[in-house]
Parts: sequence; structure tokens; C-alpha cells
Amino acid sequence: MSAPRIVITATGAVCSGGKSPGDIYASLRAGTSSIGPIRQWDVAHWPTRMAGEVADFNAREMVDDRKLHKLIRRTDLFGLYAAGRAIDGAGLAAYRDTLPPEAAATFNDRTGVYVGSGSGNFENQYDYFPLLAAAHGSMPEFGRELANTVNPMWLLRSLPNNVLGHIGIKYGLKGSNACITSHSCSGSLAVIEGMEALRNGEADRVVAVGHDAPIEPQMVLYYYRLGLIAAQTLRPFDVARDGSVFGEGAGALVLELEASAAARDAKVLGEMLGGGHVSEATGLLAIRDDGDGLARAIAAALDDAKIHAADVGMIVAHGNGTRPSDASEAAAIRTVFGAHAPPVTAFKWSFGHLIAAAGMLETTLALLALAEGVVPGVATLRELDPDCAGVPVSASPQVPRSKIALILCRGFGGTDAALLVRAR
Amino acid sequence: MTARKRVAITGLGLVTPVGNDVATTWEAVLHGRSGGAPISVFDASGFPVHIAAEVKGFDGPTRIGDRKLLKLTNRSHRFALAAAEQALQDAGIRPTDADATRWGCSVGAGMMGVDFADLSGTQAHSAADGELHPDLLLTDGPANDPLAFCRSNCAAGLSLITRRHGIRGYASAVHTACASGGQALGTAMKLIRRGAVDRVLAGGFDSMISPVGISGFCLLSALSPDNDTPQRASRPFDVTRNGFLLGEGAGFLVLEEWRAARKRGARIYAELAGDGNSLSSYRITDSPPDGDGPIQAMRQALWSAGATPADIDYLNAHGTSTGMNDRSESAAVKVVFGPDVSRLSVSSTKSTMGHLIAAAGAVEVAVCALAIRDGRMPINANLREVDPDCELNFVRDAPRSQRVRMAMSNSFGFGGSNSCIVLRNPEETDAAVEGESA
Repeated sequence: MSAPRIVITATGAVCSGGKSPGDIYASLRAGTSSIGPIRQWDVAHWPTRMAGEVADFNAREMVDDRKLHKLIRRTDLFGLYAAGRAIDGAGLAAYRDTLPPEAAATFNDRTGVYVGSGSGNFENQYDYFPLLAAAHGSMPEFGRELANTVNPMWLLRSLPNNVLGHIGIKYGLKGSNACITSHSCSGSLAVIEGMEALRNGEADRVVAVGHDAPIEPQMVLYYYRLGLIAAQTLRPFDVARDGSVFGEGAGALVLELEASAAARDAKVLGEMLGGGHVSEATGLLAIRDDGDGLARAIAAALDDAKIHAADVGMIVAHGNGTRPSDASEAAAIRTVFGAHAPPVTAFKWSFGHLIAAAGMLETTLALLALAEGVVPGVATLRELDPDCAGVPVSASPQVPRSKIALILCRGFGGTDAALLVRAR
Repeated sequence: MTARKRVAITGLGLVTPVGNDVATTWEAVLHGRSGGAPISVFDASGFPVHIAAEVKGFDGPTRIGDRKLLKLTNRSHRFALAAAEQALQDAGIRPTDADATRWGCSVGAGMMGVDFADLSGTQAHSAADGELHPDLLLTDGPANDPLAFCRSNCAAGLSLITRRHGIRGYASAVHTACASGGQALGTAMKLIRRGAVDRVLAGGFDSMISPVGISGFCLLSALSPDNDTPQRASRPFDVTRNGFLLGEGAGFLVLEEWRAARKRGARIYAELAGDGNSLSSYRITDSPPDGDGPIQAMRQALWSAGATPADIDYLNAHGTSTGMNDRSESAAVKVVFGPDVSRLSVSSTKSTMGHLIAAAGAVEVAVCALAIRDGRMPINANLREVDPDCELNFVRDAPRSQRVRMAMSNSFGFGGSNSCIVLRNPEETDAAVEGESA
């Protein structure tokens, strides 16, 4: 029995590069980086200062319902915004509302929501700082003053699965679901599990979302101390690369069985072909030098999609700009593709690393690149690292050799994910 | 077409408020011996609620052994490592270099949290007046300690387990609040069904019995305030119920493709036969009184298991002991089971263990596996007067001895995610497998 075809009918995104996949893609294609000095706090005295922040951040623009703002956080605003653009773009709710009540209820029950979430911020915990200061180290005093000091909605505002819950409430969707909190692979895993729900008959369509907002002082400081942050510029695969840079925002996709899309004459942007995910069993921070995990994830995705390495038209590398990750990623690409790798690019140099949202956002952009028939150049690449030899990455645009893109993602815990999409 | 792959439960590991292993936990749960007590891990005397169901007498260093590893763990990770080890021992199989890439790991992890000592340290140094001064973070102890960062990361528990056991296949952590553990097992089941891996170490872990965790639930008035009677505080479906009892712990299961498990002569507790998930899409903290949401999850789990309501003998209810949850769940059970509801035995073992949040679903599926193994169903403790809105066939006063053909476990989370898992007696599955081969 062949797996059913899964089509992509809408996308949504927000990050420092723009507030739609089209705007973000245009910025990337123009060779523009939206990374700059952090503005959310004064970094004048900080040893690390760069990030890709969403400019002119406006909570009302992200989520119109002001009452909801008290119940969610910055990362959730991004997720709900991107999901909303995708749901509206696909016309899901509008179509549902034309159906008779029973069919509308079935539509809701057969629509799933799969979220990759950043899981939480240190700032969530700071809501307890005033109470800790007032309690002067006395736990009984902390307990007595609790209700007078801390927002009663604290726990709900801190839930990692807020985007999932609030998409459901806003749009009335009630189908299968998951909220994946696996660091940078979360977004890609949301796509993989969403695809699985469609293939095994749990749902007819799913909204897949990845969102994160890691740009906060304590998070930036930890990554800096771990040697993961670039001083100025994210230069994937470059000989002078010195680390990654945080971004923030969200990406979203509507995935459907063909019949579901055909029922409302939905425009089809592309097809989700398959995915693969593995662990390197190296602990939280370490990765293998030989790219073994990533190579196995790619092989699993090719197998899942029932295509060959030679069918892949372009690779959107993880390319996070850290020395070990890019070198081992190059090794993985050599392992799978040998001397015949398709054109390779990476996107994070333009808007930063969105952590839990990275795979989702980059998939929306890969679709646009395939549609245009261009592999965008990596504008910050000056000289290819000899350790990354054999990876056909360029500062200039290249031409994809087919309509299929491979999107790679790597996360803490030594996890590697690969997705395959085909554009129309 | 070949028959769909089936999934065997071949190993169990538990660290719970009523026992630090499977046998002790099972005895306590069967007879409803509560783990509720005054909170001991910090001075909770000033809090509106100062009772919980803590894991007791758990010696992390002895249980885990690896001191270097311990520095990377918070309290819930230690429970997870101990329960995962038990499950592998119980199954009598472990990942080897030869098959490590065919093992997966799927966990329901607790919310991101910072150890309270680290949070207090950062407040004292960088927020002495209650507001964070970012420049002070640059010289702050915990904020510059990579170990503190590692302990707080959402992927920490997963990475500790995959590294310790060399698991190199699909590995993911999910969090849908109280539904996390159930969803992690459902994910694991589907991984084996679709052939992504052959075996999965799957489970959940959590510990919110900390000043910040207790505070979060106190602020929502979600906990039973019965400070003087901690062992009676959790009484799901009782007309006097007034909130849940916060628990902590971990549950892990070893899952294997059925034929491979039989081939190696594994002892099989049950088939992990079905998984259903839905969203209530009602309120962040509640399901609706008519059971909409949970109904779809239970129906999908039955469909996934190829079962009908008449096949299910035991339901381990979500049964949190909060007013709305128990009413909504009861309504949903009545709708799904219809005329079969009178012969369905029901209990919530949260009456004994308290609510283990992200670990609850995994621990309670393990309880269902034990009910199938022993043909005994644990009691719903503390049920004196059933709420008229919750009239179900509860197991009360003494465990019920009856062969269990199939069992069902519900887990519903804040945020509206509902998870339902269905298990099948291995004798039933063997008969079905034989039929498929014939």
C-alpha cells in the first residue's frame, strides 16, 4: 500500500527578516541580514550583543485579542501569528463555516495541530523575583505573600503548549495533536508527527507550527559562555566562522491529504515527501565529528519519501555557524551524496537561529526557493572552510537540480532531523 | 497487505510517591495506600497548601551511580534515569552497538524549570530589588554555570537517557502538561508501527514539588487544601473532592515490535494497542461538562486499537479530583461506552499516587499493564460518596479480581490536549496474530 500524498496548502512566518514567508525570502534573496545589536535590554556592557530580533514588535499586530496577551508570552504571540496566517491562507476556518453543523464538527475533529515549542524561558521564572526579594530568604514568608505578589495566571502563562491550546480555542480545531519540546528539532518533529497523523488516518489536515523566542539575557549569556555565539556575523561553512546568532519568531504549514485540499479547491504550494529523525546519544551539548547522526537522518528521510539522493535538488543546511556543527554537517552531506551533492545553502546567516522554530520556518522558505528555481546564496560566506570541502555552497545564487529540497535541523541532545519537500 | 505491526510492552520501571519500584508501587496502588503527606523537600508551612505526594527515600547517587551524570540532573531527571534503568532490566534487553540505531526514545518531560537554589541565587545577585538588572547577570553564579543551564534545558532528560543507554534512533520529548506521558507512549507506539525503530524506551517524568511549582498550582486554586488530611486529599469522583494532590516521579516502559519480542522469548505484559489524541478547545484549564474533547480521544484510541467499547474491561481514569475534570471525564465515558458503561470497571489511581503531571500518563499505563498481568484492578481510594454527576462502576474498598481483556488509560492536560491509550491482554493479541498468519 502506497502512502497517501500530503500536500502543503499554506504557510505563515515571522522573524527579524519579515512578517511573511515572502518578505523573509525577499530579504534573504537580496543578501540582507536582519541581525543587529540586541534592543530588548541594554547590551552596551555585554561581551555578546548580536541577534535577529523582530523589529517594531507589536503584540496587537501578532494577536489581536488583547485579553489573550495576559495569558501568553512573546514566543506564543509569534506562534499564534504564524499559525493564524497559515490557517487563514489555507481558508480552513472559512471553508468549515460554510459546512452544515455536523460536517463542520467532523472537520474540526479531523483537523490536527502539531507544535514545536521552545518549552520555556528563564524570564518566566523572574516573575518570582519580587516575591523572593520580599521574603528575604524566609520560605514561610514566601508562601504567605505568594498570592499578593505573583500573577495568579503565572502557571498558565508559562505552559510550553500554549500555542497548541490557543490555536484550538480560537479556531475550534479538535483533532490529534502534539507539542514537541526537543530543542532545535522541535519544529521539524512537528512536521514529521503531523505527516504521520495524516498517513495513519488520524487526521485529514494538520496545522504544524514551530515557535521560539530565545533572545533573553540569561539564555544569551549561557550560549555565549558555552562558546556557541558569534562575535558579529554568522558565517556558515566559512573558514573564519565563530558561532551562531539567535533569532526569534515562528513558522507554520498547513499539511493536508490531497482529498482534503481538493474538497475546497485549495491552492497547492507543494508536497511533503518525508522525514527522518535520529539521536547521536552524545549527551546534551556534544555532537559526533563524523556527521553520523545527520547522515542517518537524511537516509531515513529519503527512505521515508521513497526517493534517491540523486533526486534531491537542493539542500537547506542547518548551517548554524558553529565550528563543530558545520564541519560534521559537511561530513554528513559527503557521506550521503558523495561527489554528487546538489547545491547547498543555509538561511540562518540572514535572520539567526530560531531554535524550536528553525526547521518549520526554513521549510516555508525552501518552498519559495524551489518555486523561484533559485538556491539563494549565503551572503556572509567569504572562504569555504577546507573542513567543509565537497559542500557546494556559495555566496552567489545557484540553480536547484530538481523541485525537491532537503531541509536539515540539529538540536541539543545530539538530535538530527531531515525533511523533504517538493514544490509544485 | 501485511498485517500492521503490533507493539509489546516488555519492561516496566516506576519511581512514584508510593514506591521506588514496580512491585512496591503496585501493591500500594492496588490497595489504595496514599502517598500524601506534609511537604518535606522545603518549608511549605506558609503556603496555602503544604501537602503533596513526594517520592520518599529515593537515594539518587546510589540509584544512578554515575556522579558526573548526577551534576547534570534535576530531581525529575534522577527519577527518570532510575525508572528507565528498571524498565530495561525488567525487559532483559538493552541497546547494543549493533542495534542502537533501531532503538528510539520518547519522553513526556516536565515544564522547563530552574532549580530553586539557582533561581534564588540569581535573584540575590542580579535582582536584589526584585527586578532583573541584566548587567549583573554577567557576574552571577548560576547564570554563568553551564551545569545550571544543562539541568534547565527542555532536552536535558531526553539527552541523559539516550546517552546513558546509547539510544541512536528517533528521540523526542513532548510536553502537553498532564497529557505528556500518554502522548509520549502514543508517539512511541506509532514509531514501531511505521517501522522507524524496532524498540522504544518510552515514558514520562516530572517533579513540580518545589516552591515555584507548588506556587503555580496554588495560585490557580487547583490543589486540595486539605492540609490536615493529606492521605484523604485526593478523592476523585467523590462528591466532596476539592482539588488534586501534587505528586512527582517517573514511569518508563520498554516497547518492542510484537513478533520480535515473542521470538526472543520476552515476557509480555500487554499489547500497547491504541492511541488517541484530541483537543478540547474549550478553556485552557478545563474540558467542557459534556465531555466533548475527551470523547474524541477515547474513540480514536479504540479505532487505533481495532476495538469496541465492549472489549474494554478496565479504565484507569484521568480522575484528578478536581470538580470540573471528573465531571467532564465521567460524561465522556458515558457517551463513549453507552450501554457498556455499567460493566466497565473504573478507578483513578491519582487517589493514591497524586497527580504526577507529565509523568502521570506513563505511570498509569504501567498500572494498566499490571492490571492485565494480574487480573486485578486497583481501587479508587477515598471514594466515600460518589458525585451524582460521576456515577460509574468504580472499583472501591478492595481490588477487583477479574481477567482484563483490554484496559484504557486517560490523560487530559492543561491546554486542552487529551490522550487516551488502550492496552490488550497478550493472550488476546497472540490469538489475533495467529489468525493473521493463518
